Amino acid sequence: MSQTITIDPVTRLEGHGKITIHLNEAGDVENAHFHVTQVRGFERFSEGRPFYEMPSLMARICGICPVSHLVASAKACEAIMAVRIPHTAAQLRRMLNLAQMVQSHALSFFYLSSPDLLLGMETDPVQRSILGVAAANPELGRAGVGLRRFGQHIIELLGNKRIHPGWVVPGGVTEPLASAKRDEILAMIPEAYRNLSLALDAYKKIASTFKDEISAFANFPTNYLGLVNDDESIEFTDGALRLIDAKGATIEDGMTATRFTEVIGEAVEPYSYTKFAYYKPLGYPEGSYRVGPLARLNIVSKMGTPKAEVELVEFKQLAKGPVESSFYYHHARLVEMLYGIEKIEEILSDPKILDPHVRATAGVNRLEGAGQAEAPRGTLMHNYKVDENGKMLWANLVIATGQNNNAMNRGVLQAARHYVKDGKFTEGMLNRIEAVVRTFDPCLSCSSHAFGQMPLEVSLVDAGGATIDRVVRS
Amino acid sequence: MKLDSSPARCLILACGNTLRNDDGIGPNLAEWAEERFEQDSNIRVIARQQFTPDLAEEIAAAESVLFIDSSVELRPGRVDFFPVIPRTANGGTATHQFDAPDLLALARDLYDSRSAHAMLLTVGAGSMELGESFSDEVEAALPRARGVIEKAVFRFLEN
Repeated sequence: MSQTITIDPVTRLEGHGKITIHLNEAGDVENAHFHVTQVRGFERFSEGRPFYEMPSLMARICGICPVSHLVASAKACEAIMAVRIPHTAAQLRRMLNLAQMVQSHALSFFYLSSPDLLLGMETDPVQRSILGVAAANPELGRAGVGLRRFGQHIIELLGNKRIHPGWVVPGGVTEPLASAKRDEILAMIPEAYRNLSLALDAYKKIASTFKDEISAFANFPTNYLGLVNDDESIEFTDGALRLIDAKGATIEDGMTATRFTEVIGEAVEPYSYTKFAYYKPLGYPEGSYRVGPLARLNIVSKMGTPKAEVELVEFKQLAKGPVESSFYYHHARLVEMLYGIEKIEEILSDPKILDPHVRATAGVNRLEGAGQAEAPRGTLMHNYKVDENGKMLWANLVIATGQNNNAMNRGVLQAARHYVKDGKFTEGMLNRIEAVVRTFDPCLSCSSHAFGQMPLEVSLVDAGGATIDRVVRS
Repeated sequence: MKLDSSPARCLILACGNTLRNDDGIGPNLAEWAEERFEQDSNIRVIARQQFTPDLAEEIAAAESVLFIDSSVELRPGRVDFFPVIPRTANGGTATHQFDAPDLLALARDLYDSRSAHAMLLTVGAGSMELGESFSDEVEAALPRARGVIEKAVFRFLEN
């Protein structure tokens, strides 16, 4: 008899989702899906608002990565204003974005995934939490808390709040950096390096014990998308996008935000409120790709900071071409955190970072604008249309998690087929299937939006569980 | 709230969502405490939307901690005040639902910290709907809740 296994909710993720695994009559996995079960609607209710409100409005999409939305939204507004922001403002935003990346990656690695990595996938779920990690390895736990504090305190110093900060506005930032704040951040750097070094050492020691998971966790060839600088180094705030194929060859380079809106499409599937992004010239689903730490490190040939450079060389030795297993998102996340700490130190060491000129001003000069940035989870794009008075007519967001959606679903199916056989499974096997999704560190709150009309299915089920009637709106 | 991260003898740690009517009682009382004890460097006040693991570090840096939160299990406006015991190792927890016992356990396990006093002040919530106002019962409970905070802080600092 066929059977459906449901994991609901998927735990230790940001947002709400479930996994369904469909077994055929032989008990083998026929299909599996990752469903995003929440709806937000930011793109619709921003219609009618003045465009300059959009950064602070869009930051409310998420409590973990609001800075990414602030930055991408501000850049979309600046495209409408047709302004170039002052260099110091760009550097300050870069620093804020990197601080967010560090604290978000710390949350993902230490709070959400380290219970699996440190305590084991089969550990009793009651133990398999941040409290379990604290009891088993307090030094690593302290490192995680310290790295999260590092990123959040920088955000609070710059943006006045650690969650949903302000400060980033169309045209730049609202105020320059004070020397006292610069010095306070610089004083935090040595401890951040120590904590990161501890985490990297701990990860490298335990990674080799997860050979089976490495082979089965969304381990397949895909295309990859991410921002790159002109000098081939990694970038999170400016630069241009590059799409590479599974062998590492460039499919398209130098992609601006405007070009992104032309070549990236979004498909809708009936089982999820999150869209499935794809590269239109290759069609759907062949044009699907991955974004985020694994993709970024696969795309760039250098980090641009000395310590992270060493780690990138080691990372690239994991495979001959692009590193394919999504398990290695964990490794890539740690390398990016190291880069973030180094880059923040470098930015603050330039005396020009205290320059008072941090904002450009203008009105509406174009009726459409797009802005892109790298969120912790991957590429983020905001695209807006306004009227002559700057009133929002339309908004579309392409979120990192939607761009990873196809790979997450394929990954869930791959893991389910690997671990569930003859209809038999254990709690540890189901945890592994959840852990595949965790490697992507999805932000489900960010990723779910209305697409015109939402696909909707209503089923009427009797007391015995039999479906009496069904209505579908596609 | 202050950005000062220096340790204090007494930490007042409140959580709640100010956009969910009575769930905002924690941040409201924290704001009052911030003003009430502004001149006293022995007291540090933190208000957050939810309790998160990184707050364990703040707890470890203080001698005593007073948690403040709303409660849907109490009748609206009821003020309860009781000691908090750190979660045991086998208690089980979810990162999204960290509470005061979890935080004390984390402070113990990560920083070998044991608070001299750890108390929780809860106020029964009438409405958790979207909104920025308190129900009549919670509004009426504010003076009593403030009185409890004052007495607790003075007692913590006496010892």
